[in-house]
Amino acid sequence: MSVRIDREDLLRRYERRLGLLVPAPIDLLRPLPIFSGVPEKARDKVIEKVRKYLHVVDFASGDEVLREGDYSDSAYFIIEGVVEVLAPGSGGSAGGVVKPQVRGGAHDVPAAQRPNARPAAANMIGRGSTNSTVVLSAFPAAYVPGQRLLLEAGEVFGEIGALSRYAVSATVRAESPLQLLQIRLPALRMLMASSKEFKKFLDTRYRTRALGNHLRAVSLFAPLEDATIEELKNAAELLSFEPGQIVVQEGTPADGFLLVRGGYVKVCVRAGEADLAVTYLRKGDYAGEAALLVDELWPFTLQALEHVEIVKLPVDRVRAILEKQPDLGDQLWNDMLARLKARGAVTRDPVSAEYVQMAMETGLIHGESVLLIDLSTCTRCDECVRGCADAHGGQPKFIREGTKYRNWLIPTACYQCTDPTCMMDCPTGAISREVGTLEVTINEPTCIGCSNCAGRCPWGNIIMVESGEKRPDGKPVELATKCDLCLTRPQGPACVQMCPHGSAVRISFKDIQVVTNTLK
Amino acid sequence: MRTSSALRPKHPRNLYATLVVSALFVIIYLVAAYIGPWSPKKGWGLGSGFLATALFLFEMAYPWRRPRARPLFTAKNWIQAHVYLGALAFVAVLVHSDFSLPRGPMGWGLLAFSFWTTASGLAGVFLQKWIPTTLTESLRVEALYERIPELVASRLAEADALMTGTSDVLSRFYRTEARPLLEKVNPSWSYLLDIRGGRDRALEPFRRISQFIDTAEKQKVDDLIAIFIEKVELDAHYSLQGVLRRWLVWHVPPAALLMALVAIHIAGWMLF
Repeated sequence: MSVRIDREDLLRRYERRLGLLVPAPIDLLRPLPIFSGVPEKARDKVIEKVRKYLHVVDFASGDEVLREGDYSDSAYFIIEGVVEVLAPGSGGSAGGVVKPQVRGGAHDVPAAQRPNARPAAANMIGRGSTNSTVVLSAFPAAYVPGQRLLLEAGEVFGEIGALSRYAVSATVRAESPLQLLQIRLPALRMLMASSKEFKKFLDTRYRTRALGNHLRAVSLFAPLEDATIEELKNAAELLSFEPGQIVVQEGTPADGFLLVRGGYVKVCVRAGEADLAVTYLRKGDYAGEAALLVDELWPFTLQALEHVEIVKLPVDRVRAILEKQPDLGDQLWNDMLARLKARGAVTRDPVSAEYVQMAMETGLIHGESVLLIDLSTCTRCDECVRGCADAHGGQPKFIREGTKYRNWLIPTACYQCTDPTCMMDCPTGAISREVGTLEVTINEPTCIGCSNCAGRCPWGNIIMVESGEKRPDGKPVELATKCDLCLTRPQGPACVQMCPHGSAVRISFKDIQVVTNTLK
Repeated sequence: MRTSSALRPKHPRNLYATLVVSALFVIIYLVAAYIGPWSPKKGWGLGSGFLATALFLFEMAYPWRRPRARPLFTAKNWIQAHVYLGALAFVAVLVHSDFSLPRGPMGWGLLAFSFWTTASGLAGVFLQKWIPTTLTESLRVEALYERIPELVASRLAEADALMTGTSDVLSRFYRTEARPLLEKVNPSWSYLLDIRGGRDRALEPFRRISQFIDTAEKQKVDDLIAIFIEKVELDAHYSLQGVLRRWLVWHVPPAALLMALVAIHIAGWMLF
């Protein structure tokens, strides 16, 4: 299918939309129910504080507000109009019609029809599929397949994905002319902190719509019966932590089984005067098996590395489940032994904690496929860069320059993050990741060069490159470019394959053992 | 890095296989020479000549690894095959020539270029293992070769800014002694012998000037020393990365000449 896309038109529409994206007026915000739980006295102050993160946005009928599989940092409150939530898997573009739009109205060329369709992942170096992309369906339990799900004025949507940084579970489309209040993540968090009612409202929605799926996504609870999951859902406590906040302290009584819902948690152990990092937990990971199995005190300190959302399950409930399902106990014993072993290894050899610490400090913990170059064997021949350029029409997608850690170079190349923040603010949906794959890719024809993704990438791994085209005003068109793991190369990333000395490797920072073994 | 580490093979299995096959060549040669007179023009002698030619042709195919590294899947496999089959080709040449000194200029040319190409290739392997480790273990700075002049210029600008408005003594020292050292990249072969050699001696004037300035300016001298050390490390990178890029001059043109001689040799054998 040939796709004709008018980049200039997209850019004009985006700039027009950007011009309208001003903080919402106080008079409009004050009567909204999302502020009703904020104490009367503090309401104006809170509104003033969060206002810069609140925008009133309009959509035409048929525009896409959210697209399944994307990442979003916003929740939406419907001020006026109706949206339709499309059932997961039904896709956003009706009838296969390619309709590039400024979002709402994400550009959507179906994956298989893109010029760079992804070949099968078999026999590739450093590429493959991932099970880290968790899409939690936030569909109401009462939803009947085939039925249309419409949300009307006063409803909120998108908050679960935004708070937990899960991929958007369903495409949301304007059913009629629509006015929404876009609530960006900082505002969402501030509102939750200032209004118990709002937090309770969001927690209840998470508990009823997503927690069951979340529990099911954890291997430990996957085989449980619906009734047991329901029981856990009702008993769960939902906790939020600020960056740096201690979640649990080593040596204190362990009163809960903790499940990470969003964010990263550092696991450390006290050794003399220092805290040694043992590992880190990410969404879907859990802690507290020692309390369950042997009634131990917390053997570690858990500390939030960023905004962290935790689901705390009462020990006695989980213990009751274990009695009924001894297999789960075996898995927990294995986990506990592995963690105690890691703890022992770190206390015996504190230097090994350095790798974990480095991974946390540099942000590599987010990486699903991080390019590392062993400088002690690299002859600086640039074959990796040439290989990359050969695979991308002469334009390399990474720079062999970056942070040096011991004998390793961490080049300026996309880490293919578990939760790609670069995908959160793309006005045309040009940057995307297919659910279940590693590679975050940029669809060049629909990139308008707004540089939102480049600005969003905390590691500066997206580069703006002149495309050779000129805008009507004579300025050069700069488009975002980044490593796509050589999507079209059946052999996988060229940088690794073309390194004559095996110095270039790609590793996932999900498994700290792999990281330690590679780096040491 | 110890020299012995650089001599250690990355994949011992490939080395052992090459040694075994080489030993097999020699055994075949000894047996054949024992049974009857050895001739490079027939039988095993001719066969070893063909083998050496085939291996040389494969060696010349090394640039074909790009862009897809077919059929050996990775460039690493290609270079391993290039190194070990190259060594094997030289053994085949020796077997072909009956392990005796050649007669005539063509024979000498072939042997000399075969030896030189093999030896320069193995020297390159040594350098490619020794230099990266030395750079990584001994230097804190890492830089792209092409960007080093630019980085040196930025260090100079940084130093100029740092020394603006300093006392006469320090300003004069900077102008006359320090700045000339920072002005341009100074590559040197001496880095090949000792990558950090001479650094203490070069820093001596910086330490000496510290005695003649007040405490407030001492920090500036410390910063200047840090800039100077970075610049010296950039020089070392430029020198050694330059060696890594230029050693091929000693390997590739002689290899091309060798192939030309081989072509003439084969043509001569076929025609006459």
